[in-house]
Amino acid sequence: MEIQNSSSIELRGINKSFGSFQASKDINLTIQGGRLVALLGPSGSGKTTILRMIAGLEQPDSGEILIDGKVVNDVPGSERGIGFVFQSYALFRYMTVYDNIAFGLRVKRVPKKEVDSRVKELLKLIGCEGLEKRYPGQLSGGQRQRVAFARALAPNPRILLLDEPFAAIDAKIRLELRSWLREMITRLGITSIFVTHDQNEAIEVADDIIVTNEGRIEQSGSAAELYSSPRTPFVVKFIGNSVLVDNYYEFRSFSRAEADTVGVIRPEFVEIYKTSEDIRYSRSADEGYVRDIIFRGSSIEVKVDIHGNLISAIRSINDAPLEIGEKVWVFVYRMFLIGKDGVRLVENSALRENSIVI
Amino acid sequence: MKTQKKGGAVKWILITICVIFLAVFLILPLIYILSTAFRDGISSYIKAVTDEYAVKAALLTLKATFFAVVINTIFGLFASWCICKFTFRGKKVLSTFIDLPVTVSPIIAGLIYILTFGRQSFLYPILDDMGIQIIFAVPGIILATIFVTFPFISRELIPVLTAQGTDEEEAAALMGANAFTIFKNITFPHIKWALLYGIVLCAARAMGEFGAVSVLSGHLRGKTNTLPLYIELLYQGYDFTGAFASSSILMIFAIIVLILRVILEQRGKKERG
Ligand SMILES: Nc1ncnc2c1ncn2[C@@H]1O[C@H](COP(=O)(O)OP(=O)(O)OP(=O)(O)O)[C@@H](O)[C@H]1O
Ligand SMILES: [Mg+2]
Repeated sequence: MEIQNSSSIELRGINKSFGSFQASKDINLTIQGGRLVALLGPSGSGKTTILRMIAGLEQPDSGEILIDGKVVNDVPGSERGIGFVFQSYALFRYMTVYDNIAFGLRVKRVPKKEVDSRVKELLKLIGCEGLEKRYPGQLSGGQRQRVAFARALAPNPRILLLDEPFAAIDAKIRLELRSWLREMITRLGITSIFVTHDQNEAIEVADDIIVTNEGRIEQSGSAAELYSSPRTPFVVKFIGNSVLVDNYYEFRSFSRAEADTVGVIRPEFVEIYKTSEDIRYSRSADEGYVRDIIFRGSSIEVKVDIHGNLISAIRSINDAPLEIGEKVWVFVYRMFLIGKDGVRLVENSALRENSIVI
Repeated sequence: MKTQKKGGAVKWILITICVIFLAVFLILPLIYILSTAFRDGISSYIKAVTDEYAVKAALLTLKATFFAVVINTIFGLFASWCICKFTFRGKKVLSTFIDLPVTVSPIIAGLIYILTFGRQSFLYPILDDMGIQIIFAVPGIILATIFVTFPFISRELIPVLTAQGTDEEEAAALMGANAFTIFKNITFPHIKWALLYGIVLCAARAMGEFGAVSVLSGHLRGKTNTLPLYIELLYQGYDFTGAFASSSILMIFAIIVLILRVILEQRGKKERG
């Protein structure tokens, strides 16, 4: 399969309203050619709207859409070089798989022979050879998704947009398809944006993640960046398995900042010790009670009640087993504090003292 | 077991009621029509149905039906397409207006056209100058037939189109397909059976229309009399054999439509299921 040239995408100051409802608020983003980007956000946060505006299916009220540095606001969607995979796939149900994939080429009056070889090539790529005579209704969910993918790719687009490509597929095949899709797109080198509201999916598949909320872009960057330095309260809460604590100052070695600050604790920020176990910072650990133990396969998630907050923690399978109701020591390494002037990461002060000693 | 028995009893009672109802209100009159039509023997039946005026009336009925079906098919397609595929102000109002003819009495529809195109209308001199006569002429009959049948096709199409959504069309448009290709390859296969079914209903209703046509026709024998009007005329003139013989022509049309309808329903179901 040939390497396609891929386009860069840029949105500048995009606003879009449906009636009185503003679905996009001052959207600015830049995507380099060849990147695989996830639009991640809760339902109704305006992800599909952004995708549809890039595809030309929706016109922004203001702002500019640029593809390869050229403003394309007035270019019809069909001339923007875009392949679109719809949330429900939107396969043509009265056409065979073959005709579905060939459609985009036929409307462009590509010679019959070329159409045939391209369709065969794509069928091979998606591993659906032998299904060309079937109708979409006779395919499994995974096959449908692959066909939709092939159909979008057939006319050699330079940008691929996918709206929740895995939403309609059951969990097990979804995992398979995720890595399949990532591999395909990386191999083709085509600029791709896919929409999802599942952060694991975004982290696993995408190079970069753009987090949307209430029509705005909250933050964009790699998964690691979003994890380690979230810039807005929304991102802190949305990314990771976060628990909000109002009374963060009751935790040992954390002191009170301004009045209406909230603490955020993730499982990877805490460590649990049995009362019998050795504990390094015993004076800085809090007392907690095990409320729930969830087996996660490769690890164990423990929910611990500390000062009235149910905090999640991860324990290794090899650690000594815990019991529900057991009293444990919990050491909180760090937490995010969301205040009026943004988000900051605060370390347990015991760690600082310790480093001074050393 | 007990409930099943009870269910069985209810079932049979309901079936019996339906059958009796149909027999009294449909089968009996139909038999009566035929027996009256043939009362004076086959030859007088044939004479009645081959009567010059009867043939002319039948042809006029077919003509009006044809025009109504063609025009309403085009209109119904456009109307339901724009109601289902676009969002715009006044969409609700438009779809309500489409259903208006169902609720308005055909007589009133006829009178509306008399007022719009008749002698007292400001349009009359203009049309008269152009040599177009609408009232008491064939165009009036066609207009009236179109009016009473125009919701039939869009009403069949709207639910089907709504259920289909716009994704497939958008996908096709994004790949550069023009409106005609999209309609031909994506929308039409989907609405085909509903459309044909709508056409059949429209034709059935058009053939039997009496009220609105009666107001607009002027009852000129051989010129503006459709079959239902002609039957009425014969009946008023105590020509029972003629009236019922002509009715049997209309009945044959109706039976053809009924058979078409059954076939279409079966086909549509098969393709969908
Ligand atoms: N055509 C439309 N008319 C009116 N409102 C719309 C339209 N399209 C989207 N909206 C509204 O805009 C908001 C954002 O919609 P959008 O489809 O972009 O969300 P999303 O992030 O894709 O959500 P989901 O994950 O549920 O698909 C929603 O509140 C939605 O109701
Ligand atoms: Mg969406």
